[in-house]
Amino acid sequence: MQRYLATRLLALIPVLLGILTVVFVLIRLIPGDAVQLFLGTQVELTPEQMVELRRFFGVDKPMHAQYVDYLSRIVRGDLGVSLRTSRLVLDDILQRLPLSFQLATLALVVAMLIAVPLGIASAVTRNSALDVLARIGGLLGLSMPSFWLGAMLILVFSRYLHISIGQYVPLTQNPLGTLQSLYLPSLALGAAIAAILMRYVRSSLLEVLGQDYIRTARGKGLRAAAVMLRHALPNAMIPVITVLGFQMGYLLGGTVVIEEIFALPGMGRLVLQAIFQRDYPVVQGVVLVIALLFVVTNLVVDLLYAWIDPRIRYA
Amino acid sequence: MRNRVAPIGLVIIVASLATALLAPRLVPYDVRAMAPQASLAPPGGQHLFGTDEFGRDVFSRVLVGSRVSLVVAFFSVATAVGLGTTVGLTAGYYGGWWDGVSMRGMDIIFAFPAILLAIAIMAVLGTSLLNLVIAIGIVYTPQFARVARAAALTVRSLEFVDAARALGLGNARIIGRHLIPNILAPVIVQVSLSLSLAILSESALSFLGLGTQPPTPSWGNMLSEGRQFLELAPWNAVFPGLAIMLVVLGFNLLGDGLRDLLDPRLR
Amino acid sequence: MRVRWWMWLVVMALVLPVLPVRAGPAGTTFTIGVDQEVVGLDPNLVTAFSSFRRIDFLYNKLVRYNDRLLIEGDLAESWEFPDPRTAVFRLRRGVKFHSGAEMTSDDVKFTLERVLDPATRSPGRSFVDVITSIETPDRYTVRLKMQFPLASLLSGLASANLSIVEKAAVQRSGNLQRTVAGTGPFMLAEWVPDNFMRLVKNPNYFRQGLPKFDTLILRVIPDQASLLAGVRTRALDMATINQGAVITQARRESGIVVMQKAGLNLRIFAFNTTRPPYTDARVRYAFSFAIDRNVIVNTAEFGYAAVSGPVPASTPWATPAGRFTSYTQNVARARQMLSEAGYPNGFATRIVTSPTYEGGIAVAQVIQEQLRAIGVNATLETIEWGTYINRWVARDFDTMIELRGGDPDPDRFLYRTFHSTGAVNNFLFKDGGIDRLLERGRVNLETDARRPIYDELQRALIEAAPALFLYTPMETQVLQGYVRGFKIIGNGALYFLEEASVER
Repeated sequence: MQRYLATRLLALIPVLLGILTVVFVLIRLIPGDAVQLFLGTQVELTPEQMVELRRFFGVDKPMHAQYVDYLSRIVRGDLGVSLRTSRLVLDDILQRLPLSFQLATLALVVAMLIAVPLGIASAVTRNSALDVLARIGGLLGLSMPSFWLGAMLILVFSRYLHISIGQYVPLTQNPLGTLQSLYLPSLALGAAIAAILMRYVRSSLLEVLGQDYIRTARGKGLRAAAVMLRHALPNAMIPVITVLGFQMGYLLGGTVVIEEIFALPGMGRLVLQAIFQRDYPVVQGVVLVIALLFVVTNLVVDLLYAWIDPRIRYA
Repeated sequence: MRNRVAPIGLVIIVASLATALLAPRLVPYDVRAMAPQASLAPPGGQHLFGTDEFGRDVFSRVLVGSRVSLVVAFFSVATAVGLGTTVGLTAGYYGGWWDGVSMRGMDIIFAFPAILLAIAIMAVLGTSLLNLVIAIGIVYTPQFARVARAAALTVRSLEFVDAARALGLGNARIIGRHLIPNILAPVIVQVSLSLSLAILSESALSFLGLGTQPPTPSWGNMLSEGRQFLELAPWNAVFPGLAIMLVVLGFNLLGDGLRDLLDPRLR
Repeated sequence: MRVRWWMWLVVMALVLPVLPVRAGPAGTTFTIGVDQEVVGLDPNLVTAFSSFRRIDFLYNKLVRYNDRLLIEGDLAESWEFPDPRTAVFRLRRGVKFHSGAEMTSDDVKFTLERVLDPATRSPGRSFVDVITSIETPDRYTVRLKMQFPLASLLSGLASANLSIVEKAAVQRSGNLQRTVAGTGPFMLAEWVPDNFMRLVKNPNYFRQGLPKFDTLILRVIPDQASLLAGVRTRALDMATINQGAVITQARRESGIVVMQKAGLNLRIFAFNTTRPPYTDARVRYAFSFAIDRNVIVNTAEFGYAAVSGPVPASTPWATPAGRFTSYTQNVARARQMLSEAGYPNGFATRIVTSPTYEGGIAVAQVIQEQLRAIGVNATLETIEWGTYINRWVARDFDTMIELRGGDPDPDRFLYRTFHSTGAVNNFLFKDGGIDRLLERGRVNLETDARRPIYDELQRALIEAAPALFLYTPMETQVLQGYVRGFKIIGNGALYFLEEASVER
């Protein structure tokens, strides 16, 4: 186990380095001068002032020099300062990370709450009307863009129910406020994920239910519910957990549009604006952090997989 | 049920492709022709699906928009399948340093938040149909690489591969005759999922201003433009939205059906 | 039916959105929805419209515009021009900065010098760079000496970039992007970027009894439809909306008040006059006949705009747009002019535009269609905002859709935009006649003498057509019915919120 963990951790490093390099190069390939963008259209500078400003921003050196410089600072944990606001990138990220994390978690919870019962019902009553309805519902959830669903939810809630989208407050300040502000966004995100999950739950459960040990359990006289809860479901959930891991990674960075619509100050919006404003340190920092979290999450999922599996096989 | 429903998917897809191909001949109005006096007209009368704020016919735009959406979907997934399965197959079959390097490369792409990668690529290359295909294609390549590699690994270890080699069959033949048929099923499932995601990605990119640019209609940009009229003139967003849903549904049904057909375990 | 554990979950899930959250701060709180976050708060440095909106609450200027677009005193009680090149301002006494220190002529001098210093890179510099010396004969008097008389001086001093800052604070902190050193009706209490900014009442504000709110919260909600949703549900007391479709929806709802006023920003179709065929003024002028500005206003702005010439239509200096011959669409004449210029079959061209911010993509599409009628085949180059700025600065475009900030005084906008040495003359336009008119117009302090000059200037600019002048969008504020006393100005400034109150 330790060796597996160690090799996996070591394998992380080239991946993270690769991501960093790709981001570094990619964002500098975007046409547009970071400094000029910062100044906007209203200010005219002399060439000397431009040079000075470029030095201040650290964009005057050739790319490979900037790269080496950046790497050496990363190693020391210094993610740099935003070109735009002069705030520490790390501070910005740490401020927004909780929201992104909470939103991702809530969305997954919502997805599970929808997907698991429906998936079970669908698998158990295979090919019945309920199964068909659930699968159609699932397909609809898959085909609707989550931001579309979000926009519809806002419309319905504000126009017909007169309930407002709450302003985000951190969990430590007011948990109820946090839940309220993330309610609609997590519904919008969760619906699409529920659709994906439901298919996995269903197919995985179908496969498990056909196995011998299930017949053994039933033969032992256990009630259907007990069979499901103690034998079938835990086994079926294993591949589902893998999918959850992937979704978590997607959610951490991919909720940009939802954040725009629901006015959530998450990492998606931070990095989107940073890309548009050529705020290189912010983009690099955020992508690195998100990638790190994604990779770590998947590592945890894999470890869980490896840990759970042999135990259940002997159950 | 599956065997009854899959043909429906096929019908939908074929109909969409036909529409896309014939669109220029089917449209009652020029998609760019503006009729300011008919701005935001509701469906009915001269305009089956109503008009947008410039007075352009929504029905015509949905028809022509199908071209962009389907082209983006098919070609980006084709790119992803081509790149991904090549990488994955060779990685799984030959193994060695190529396996390590290429899969690390796939990991790197995969660890990027998909939408951010697409945004960055579009920002670098500029907004054009080709670039959309490239961007979305790259984003979905790792999935296919993984699937292909897993299948290749399973098959490689089977005895008949050793037997085939002993008989003197070249690697290419082995890959062609034995590996590819075995990866078909998981790849097809992945394809149907990716096709849907590709269309949705184009839509999200349009919302952020990086997808297909006006005045060229695409379902994605019609959806995002239509958002501001959700209360005033919902038909602007509803019809492209329905079109997206219909086509995605078609892909999924067809994909499910094909998978069930091809996967021996579930027979 | 037995109550199961999961039923509680369902009930909780349904009830969650309507549970009351912890009560807000004591006293009256006013919440405004804004669609853009600001990068910094230093009044002398910032350039974005959204930044000016915050500065409105935190700072004061020497003079400001009232809701009739006339100059009134802000920190200056009175002023006079002993001779055309000298201006003397008498400051109010007893005005306190948020720090408690008194505002004196020293601070005014410091601020002006800061703005004038090229190292500061203040966008406001070109408004007042005519100033050669600043004297402070006593604590409450400032005397400015100018290189030549400048009619738009007061207008320049009314700009948010010329807000008076506290000298001691700047010397302490370096710059004011994060800290506030102003005299304004509100003070900065809390700032969570991309979420909200909380301002609290300045107890020492020099206008007695104002402001009437204890707390002002500015919430950042990037999406316009979501802003309206917030007003509708009373989460917001007020929001600035500029998307025509959303404004139309707001007007249909009871309980919401939509205040609109003619604005001062100008939407233009810019030419790069150094690129053929736009080197020929006949081609540019022909375009003016080819397009239909009313259609543009009705489709791109839903009618919430006024067709305008080079001077914003809402100001008293503007020649009524109906008087310009080229403002009546005349496709035949446009084709004829193109023929005379050597393009009987039109030509291909490109229009730079952007889907976000002020990029004007709707306008671009309409113009693209209208130009087809004269044989001009325009391709839209739709680029994202960052690239748009870059192309603007590099003057790398054939034609471009822009939104320019106008002003009640014609000189402040026209000079820097159309003079051959103008700071924002990205058309690379050089016309000696127009230069001379601009120079004459700005040094003359008498309105009666200036008027014919600017009439002539507007006519000349329309014919020379460095850009097509399209329209001025209206300023729109959406408020709850219970908000009283707010006055809309027309330049988007919100400082009259200091007089507003709520009657619930």
